[in-house]
Amino acid sequence: MSVNIEATKSGDEILIAVRGEVDLYSSPQLRTALLEAVPAAGTDVAVDLSGVEYIDSSGVATLVEGLKSARENNKGFYLVNPSAPVRQVLELARLDSIFEVKPTS
Amino acid sequence: MDKDMRLTVRSDPRFLGSIRKMVRGWLEASEIAENKAADVVLAIDEACANVIRHAYEGRCDQSLEISLHSEPEQLVFQISDHGEPCPPECAEQRPLQIPDLDDLKPGGLGVQLIYQVFDEVDFCPGKVRGNCITMRLNRKKTEE
Repeated sequence: MSVNIEATKSGDEILIAVRGEVDLYSSPQLRTALLEAVPAAGTDVAVDLSGVEYIDSSGVATLVEGLKSARENNKGFYLVNPSAPVRQVLELARLDSIFEVKPTS
Repeated sequence: MDKDMRLTVRSDPRFLGSIRKMVRGWLEASEIAENKAADVVLAIDEACANVIRHAYEGRCDQSLEISLHSEPEQLVFQISDHGEPCPPECAEQRPLQIPDLDDLKPGGLGVQLIYQVFDEVDFCPGKVRGNCITMRLNRKKTEE
């Protein structure tokens, strides 16, 4: 398995921890997790990206889709401690400023 | 010894990770900066993913060819397929800017990342079938 995704609910927030490689093969798993978490979360969806070793544009597009879905549902959406590979791709795509980033959930 | 490498891979997304590993290894031997190598791996991956998604419309039983070629001044990467020719508007370079979330269409992001990473990009869709994309990276720039 190239990616491992775990969702945990803590109060009003759902934390989705992503580990491994997010690419065209594995990003559908992330999409499912995010789109399930948005309606299930009370207030916020947090995506922990500290364990992501690789992400491609399909993974980034999935995060954008999660953010859009959260906004439509009046939920918060933020990234937690994105790893260096994630930060590098977000910067390259000029998408680093659209996500709220926190060091911890 | 010939430094070049040629791969023929099935158009199945599950093999993208293996392609990235092989390209990463080849780049290590080509002595380019680690950060730049990560960008090149990403861009090659994007080009292969585009072949699978668009040229082959998600069919996993086709093939794509990847060639990695080292020249004194440049590294040259070529990916070719036998699928649907890419419409020219999908291969256009567009300025990357901080997007308005409402207008964001991430579908074309991979192509723009390819343009961001390489010094020269040449898309050659076939008249009837197939595509070939050639991507060139100047070695001098990688020493920055």
